[in-house]
Amino acid sequence: METFWEVFKRHGVSRRDFIKFATTITGLMGLAPSMVPQVVKAMETKPRVPVIWIHGLECTCCSESFIRSATPLASDVVLTMMSLEYDDTLSAAAGEAIEKHREKIMKEYWGNYILAVEGNPPLGEDGMYCIIGGRPFVEILKESAEGAKAIIAWGSCASWGCVQAAKPNPTNAVSIDKVITDKPIIKVPGCPPIAEVMTGVIMYMVLFDRIPPLDSQGRPKMFYGNRIHDTCYRRSFFNAGQFVEQFDDEGAKKGWCLYKVGCRGPTTYNSCGNLRWYNGLSYPIQSGHGCIGCAENNFWDNGPLYERIGGIPVPGIDSKADKIGAIAAVAAAGGAILHGIATKVRKSANKEEE
Amino acid sequence: MFKRIYVFSASLRIWHWINFITIIVLFFTGLYIGTPYFTTSVGYEATYAYDKNLTMGFIRFLHFSAGYVLLFSFLFRIYIAFFGKRDRMFIPKFWTIEYWQGVKETSQEYLLIKEHRPMLRNPLARTSYFLVYLMIFFMIATGFGMYGLSDPDGFWASVFGWAVWSLGGEFEAHYWHHIVAWLIILFFVFHVYFVSREDFTHKNGEVSSMFNGVKFFRKEPIDINDVK
Repeated sequence: METFWEVFKRHGVSRRDFIKFATTITGLMGLAPSMVPQVVKAMETKPRVPVIWIHGLECTCCSESFIRSATPLASDVVLTMMSLEYDDTLSAAAGEAIEKHREKIMKEYWGNYILAVEGNPPLGEDGMYCIIGGRPFVEILKESAEGAKAIIAWGSCASWGCVQAAKPNPTNAVSIDKVITDKPIIKVPGCPPIAEVMTGVIMYMVLFDRIPPLDSQGRPKMFYGNRIHDTCYRRSFFNAGQFVEQFDDEGAKKGWCLYKVGCRGPTTYNSCGNLRWYNGLSYPIQSGHGCIGCAENNFWDNGPLYERIGGIPVPGIDSKADKIGAIAAVAAAGGAILHGIATKVRKSANKEEE
Repeated sequence: MFKRIYVFSASLRIWHWINFITIIVLFFTGLYIGTPYFTTSVGYEATYAYDKNLTMGFIRFLHFSAGYVLLFSFLFRIYIAFFGKRDRMFIPKFWTIEYWQGVKETSQEYLLIKEHRPMLRNPLARTSYFLVYLMIFFMIATGFGMYGLSDPDGFWASVFGWAVWSLGGEFEAHYWHHIVAWLIILFFVFHVYFVSREDFTHKNGEVSSMFNGVKFFRKEPIDINDVK
């Protein structure tokens, strides 16, 4: 395989533009400026890596996000940075031809290709809820993972389970790390993940030939190392105690903190606060709506999305923890007083008997 | 006619009242952090309101400071248990027959059937104190976990980060931190009631014992060995 620099030359990119590109992606990957020479060297020497991108039970929002990457352009990534050999959504080929190609690539680059998984395998009914090319997706996943160097779990589906794994999870959909346990898995959660995060993860793996540093949950530290709350531009309103109470009130117009209308920023790890979306244009909180925590495990079950702390399932009452707590505390105090009176009555009765 | 028995060491009594104040501060600041129900900074720009009023930032500062006090007083409490026999009375000895006998007698007293024999501390109280220590530890672990994960590579995240992840994530950690805070308040209500009740019914100086360390008994308590 040719190296990146060779591909760039073939496409008529000047040395100057090449260096610019290397500098941009260095910053994007969260690396120090002193790393630029290493990135350039990697791009001059490392061959492009074949990538097999498979789709399970999912909504394709990860692919939709990915093709909107602006730095680097997704087209650059797909056409020059890596060699995307199989993607049944983006490929022009279809049917048996492309399935054969996947098998050919797997054989040719056994142990060297990267497997990118979008969506997850439903295990119910022997995997019959998701059939690709006439076979259950879980089989294709296991088969493709066997010869992979590393696996990228795109989105909350592959990382955590997402909406199809929400209670009661009728198809028994599971995250891919429940099925594949013997390969390094990089979780890139989000519904979908930020486009630049997706390309950034691929770039890192391709250029440095190793998986990025991961946190305890298996997510790349450079993109999932901060809470949205801790990087939010509305954080000063939080610290000042200035909150939106309703979406049409004065605070909402002034752009105050969305904490009280259920923003999940304080409990969600992602780069929305600093990278933002669509080449830094905006992100949910900037547009006036709280974060729904789409990059977090179980976010579908942690509702309601417009309340900060989930309710306690008490039959017939839509209750918040504080309300139940206060009722319980008052009931306990009342019970204690009644018990005290009963003790007193009982004691005087005993005395009379004596 | 009353026999004085020294039950609570000075270290324990000091710890008890520090713990009490800390928990009250933590509870009320925590309630505000969970649901900010008043705003003091109307009319100020957020940047300038920060240090001028009773703001979220300041209340969080109080909460975290009290959290540190809770942590270190808890460590102190564990530490003194190694050195004083009477400071180990929070351990419920559920492997002994006396424990279950005491549970029966105390339940009978609370069901107003008959009074229990004199005890330094009844097994139900021991059990509930033990559970409270567990709850305080839970609050410390989840609290410092959430506090520390602002910097996932930092010290607190490495010490208590597991508490957040083992609950399933940060949302769940917020949720359970909240629930257990209320459980501690429930304990507080029952604790105050049963301590006062003990003092009223047995006249043994139960309430004042946490100030002067001494309880009074007519007959020798059955668990006297715990302080001898």
